[in-house]
This record gives sequence, C-alpha cells and structure tokens, in this order.
Amino acid sequence: MSAEAKDLGGPADLTETERAAVEAELRPLADDEFVLAERYTEWQVRAPTLESDLAISNIAQDELGHARLWYDLLEDFGQSEAELIWEASASEFRHATLVELPFGEGDWADAILRGYLYDTYEDLHLHALEGTSYPRIADRVGKVLTEEDYHTQHARNWLSRLCDDEPSRERVQEALDRLFPSALTLFEATEHEEAILDLGIRTESLADMRRAWLSTIRPYLDSLGLSVPASAEGEVLADLPEAVGRNGEHTEHWPALFSEFTHTYRELELGEPPRLMKDPDDV
Amino acid sequence: MIWEVFRQEARGKYHTHCGNVHAPDKEMALMFAQIQHGRRRPTHSLWVVPGEEIGEVDAEETTFGGTTDKSYRWAMTFNTDEDFAEEIAASQREQEQAERADRAGESDEDEADETATGAEATEEGESA
Repeated sequence: MSAEAKDLGGPADLTETERAAVEAELRPLADDEFVLAERYTEWQVRAPTLESDLAISNIAQDELGHARLWYDLLEDFGQSEAELIWEASASEFRHATLVELPFGEGDWADAILRGYLYDTYEDLHLHALEGTSYPRIADRVGKVLTEEDYHTQHARNWLSRLCDDEPSRERVQEALDRLFPSALTLFEATEHEEAILDLGIRTESLADMRRAWLSTIRPYLDSLGLSVPASAEGEVLADLPEAVGRNGEHTEHWPALFSEFTHTYRELELGEPPRLMKDPDDV
Repeated sequence: MIWEVFRQEARGKYHTHCGNVHAPDKEMALMFAQIQHGRRRPTHSLWVVPGEEIGEVDAEETTFGGTTDKSYRWAMTFNTDEDFAEEIAASQREQEQAERADRAGESDEDEADETATGAEATEEGESA
C-alpha cells in the first residue's frame, strides 16, 4: 500500500482528512506509551529487587520519551503539550484499556506479562510505520524501535523465569486470563482506520497486526506452559472488555489515574508543564 | 548471586571493574548490568563475572614486590628523544676507548687521571 501512497509532506501540506487520519494514528500511540509509563512508575522502589526496580524505571523513562516524540508531532497541529495532556479531559485519551488497569499489590507477574503483550504489539505497530507516507513519523520510528528491543528481551527473560515453577506460573496464568481481553483492545480500530491505510500512514491494518501478534505470543506463551485463550488457527476465545479505550471510553480506573497524575499540575496552577528536555526537533 | 561488572569504554580499551549486580544467572545479570552500569557512561561492552569465581590475594597475605628496595622497577618507560641513537653510539665509543686504555696498562691511566683532576681543580680555582 505504501508503495503507491504519495508522500504526505509536512503538517502544513495536509488536507483536513489527511490531518484527521494522522492525528487518529498518533494519539493512540502517544497515549499508550504515556499511560503505560505512568503505571510502570508505580513500581519505583517497590519492584522485587533493586536491579529490577532500576530496569523497569528505565523502561518507563523510555516509554515517556517515546510518548513525547509522538505528542510532539501532534503539537504540529497547533495544540500545546499542556493542552494535549495536562489540560485535556480524561475522555480525550485514546490509549487501549490494557495500559490503564491498576496492578494488584506486588503483582509482578502482571507487570511483566503486560509489558510482554504490549511490547510485542508495539514492535508490530512500529514496523508497520517504517514505510509510512508521513515523513515526520518515519523520522522517529527507528529511534523508538532500537529501545524497544530491550523491553521485549526484558519481558521474555522474566517470563521464562517466572514460569519455571508451578506456583509462580499460576500467577502468570492468572494475569494472562485477566489481561488478555484488554490486550485485544490494542487492535481496536477507530473510524479513521480506512483512511490511515488508504493514505499509507500505516502499512498494515490493525486486524492483520492482531493476527501477527497472536501468532507470536501464542506459541511463545504455550512453550512456557501457559494457556492463551485463542485457537491454533488464530481464533480468539475471549470477549472484548466493555471499554476499549480507542474510542475514548475507559474503565473506572482511568479517571482516578488521570486525576492522580495531573494533580500536581492543577495544584500548583502551573499553566505550563515544566520541561527537562529540549524539543525533539531541536536535538 | 552477585555478579561483578566490568565496563569497556571503547573498542580496544581494557575492561575495568565498575561495580556489581544481583542476578540469578548470567543472562539476567547482563540485562541488569546494561541499565545499572552501561546507561550513564560511554560503554562499548560489559562483562559480568560471578563474584565467587574471582580469586584474590591481598597485602595482608603477601608483600607485593618483596621487602628489599626495588624502586628501579617503578620506571615505567625509558626517556628517548631523537638523539638517542647518537647517544648510544657515543657511549659505545667511550666504553671502547676505556677498554683500550685498560689494555694499555694501569699505570698510564693513573697518571692521566691525576692530570685531569689537577686541571679541573685549577679551572675551578680560577673561576672562583
């Protein structure tokens, strides 16, 4: 598809439809990274060991950095970072509900498995953007992909060890049963899906990505002695949760999380989020 | 289990000890070491080594370098400059002359020495 799709040019060159499609592609990408990072940071000083604490905090930092890369492209269309995140309403967020769910107390298996399900999806999504017709996205995909390798390795190293003995594997299985339906929301299309594909903004459909994702995670989790609610032919044996996130509808956990991470911003009447880093375009 | 970590800053340089990580096995140790020791400083490669595999002998058990004066061992390099070849040649000539003088007989040499010492003394006396 991308071979035929014309180069969309810069933000100022887009028609209304093209711009809406680019935004619809970017917003879920940015929000997924941001909200997952937010949840990961809850493990800071609470992870099983100092080493695993540093590793997951570092992954959270990576994801925040990726979120900024994508939010920055949304800022091209006139909104500031404050308007996109801190002053936005909770319902403007388009992340999949997988990333907003709270972790059970000390449920490390959940954090690791969630990371695995998400990182495998993200890897597929980023590869589907390598041939994008929107050059501003193309410029940033490589940077994000190199950091994702560590995340996948991290998740797999942990998973294989967590599944080493029975009681521990049972906890991973419980997390899988709980998270799997929510993981499917990663692949929920928006009304712009057709335009995104026609314009070559993304070169693979979410439906195809879901098939590829299943054919990766199912044999791998199987090999660890886990049972994935999907058939070998790729038929999913679980129902989508009520709230899928991509359409702006979220679980009851989202407003609480949103209010928590915007708390300081509101409390201090900041008006503008403090920045530690330069704009990605100036680096 | 503790793994000692060694970092190499650039290809070809030595791996130097930079700390340790707790990990159940080598694969996890490498994964943690990347974050703990390879993230903030320039890193080309990391080694992880099981702490218990490292042998140690320290200054309480032995006297490194012995107990007699061997300060000559501290010389790490020789000072050389462009003239070094010529200096060696000159020194070689001097030694050869001394050898010849030796063979000519000790009595002659003694006389020559006395003359030289006398001449120096005179010069010194004059300049003072």
